[in-house]
Amino acid sequence: MTDTAFYLFGAIAIGASLLVIAQRNPVYSVLLLIASFGALSGLYVLLDAPFVAVIQIIVYAGAIMVLFLFVVMLLNAPQEDTEHDVRMHPFRGPGPMRFGAVLALGLAAELGWALTRTPGDSAPFGGTPVSSVSAIGRTLFTEYAFAFEVTSILILVAMVGAVVLARREEPR
Amino acid sequence: MVALDHYLVLSGILFSIGTAGVFMRRNLITILLSIEIMLNAVNLTFVAFGRALGSADGQIIVFFVMTVAAAEAAVGLAIIIALFRHHETLNPESFASLKW
Amino acid sequence: MTTLLVAQIVLTLFVFIALLHSAAAMVWVERRLAALLQQRLGPIRVGWQGLLQPFADVIKLMFKEELRPGAADPILFALAPIISATAAFSAFAVVPFGAETTFFGLLDEPMRLQVADVNVAVLVIFAIASMSVYGIVLAGWSSNSKYSLLGGLRSSAQMISYELSYGLALASVLLLGNSLSLTTLVDAQSGTWLGFIPRWFIFIQPLGFLIFMTAGVAETNRAPFDFPEAEQELVAGYHTEYSSMSFAMFFLAEYINMVTVSAVATDLFLGGWHGPFLPESLGWIWFLLKVGALLFFYVWMRWTLPRYRYDQLMAFGWKILLPLSVINLLVTAAGVLYFGA
Repeated sequence: MTDTAFYLFGAIAIGASLLVIAQRNPVYSVLLLIASFGALSGLYVLLDAPFVAVIQIIVYAGAIMVLFLFVVMLLNAPQEDTEHDVRMHPFRGPGPMRFGAVLALGLAAELGWALTRTPGDSAPFGGTPVSSVSAIGRTLFTEYAFAFEVTSILILVAMVGAVVLARREEPR
Repeated sequence: MVALDHYLVLSGILFSIGTAGVFMRRNLITILLSIEIMLNAVNLTFVAFGRALGSADGQIIVFFVMTVAAAEAAVGLAIIIALFRHHETLNPESFASLKW
Repeated sequence: MTTLLVAQIVLTLFVFIALLHSAAAMVWVERRLAALLQQRLGPIRVGWQGLLQPFADVIKLMFKEELRPGAADPILFALAPIISATAAFSAFAVVPFGAETTFFGLLDEPMRLQVADVNVAVLVIFAIASMSVYGIVLAGWSSNSKYSLLGGLRSSAQMISYELSYGLALASVLLLGNSLSLTTLVDAQSGTWLGFIPRWFIFIQPLGFLIFMTAGVAETNRAPFDFPEAEQELVAGYHTEYSSMSFAMFFLAEYINMVTVSAVATDLFLGGWHGPFLPESLGWIWFLLKVGALLFFYVWMRWTLPRYRYDQLMAFGWKILLPLSVINLLVTAAGVLYFGA
């Protein structure tokens, strides 16, 4: 039962991600990425991490993607200019696209090779799951308290930076 | 049985898809979306290892990665808005004024 | 094992149908209450006291022509009401509405009246509230019309702004109840002080309750925060181009969101299904009464208060409600630390 769930969520995640990079319309790309995040959230639940799963939906799918969607809609983001962009197979595209496709394929091959070299863990998961939110909270606020505070400053800096960057210039 | 290997392979595939998107697409927003795919693949690896080793550290690092991704998406989109206002296009090849 | 499965399926279907009927009931309640508040009668002719009016409305909506503007994006246009309605229904899946019961001895062990007993239930509700923004923003975008786009963007900006205060008010209750599971939070409110004051969180967190209800009203796009769908301003906002059943789905989603916000507020602040005089197994009656009272306040607010202008609305959300909710959280945390509750 969990195996079928894993394969189903994995297929959705991979399929949606492939469609994200293959779509012309940026709005569709954003929506497909949300679907991919949903599938990833399901995978986190399978990994006994319900807190991360829900945080993924709240932060990624519910906030960051809304931000993307707003920008795409407000900019009326144009689809890619050149006509030959998406209808063409990546390997027959112009130079940079072909190079990029080869690089990506090389990366995938390399990762696959690296995984076959590890002393494969074909046994089911060992270790006890730490799924309670209170345990995560305790570790977060004791061991990682400094990183937590620095993250809050990081968000503040990002907020200020985003407002300043996107502001219209005052007419002189 | 689904083992750690399966999750790592899935994460590797997602990371490669994200990388392919960054290399191949010529729309700034889609490039940012591909970066988000890569970050998510990394998150999946962290959670999978956290589960396999039985520690909460995996989930906590994912918490921080998500925060950093949010900050980076916000600033990246602000930069895109600023660029779009000046150049009216989202094609990264048109931002070539620093090329030599 | 199988009796439990059957009971779960029956419970899920029951919740689904009850939500549909509650939306229908809200239609009637809203129209009659609006009329009585405005010193007129409202619909009283269709059935006794107008109780069949919602059914007449639904039949009318079903027979209207299903339009789609030519320039609209067909996939997104069809998807938006589906997302709204689905998110509205799903949010109720983790809300418990009664104590554990064995359904008059049919089950071996008692089962909670909750579709899904998740131990991060509060976060799930928050997550699904975040997802319901998409129905609105996609409706506004896919209609490819000025009114819809403006209404959709304004409405979604409003929703994500008020989500912050919503979440912080929730967090204050979590500090008191020490758990993310709604059933645990409700059980922490059983019993009484001094024998007659129930241990509801509203008495410890009055400001939190007010913030939660205000943010909830803004989340569901109801008056006085319904600028994005105000008739005088934007024709009908994001659902201008929708007709017949698609419009009905948005309508349905709005009412069910109201019911969900009221149900969550009842569970978190008003003690859920605990109440005097009735045994625990009939607690759902108290739950219905409390949710009904909150829904009455919803309708009362709509027909009494004037509408906020959009910039006033956003200023209120960011400059007043958010600092208040942060202060509420800090004071609650200090209180919990000091009193050790």
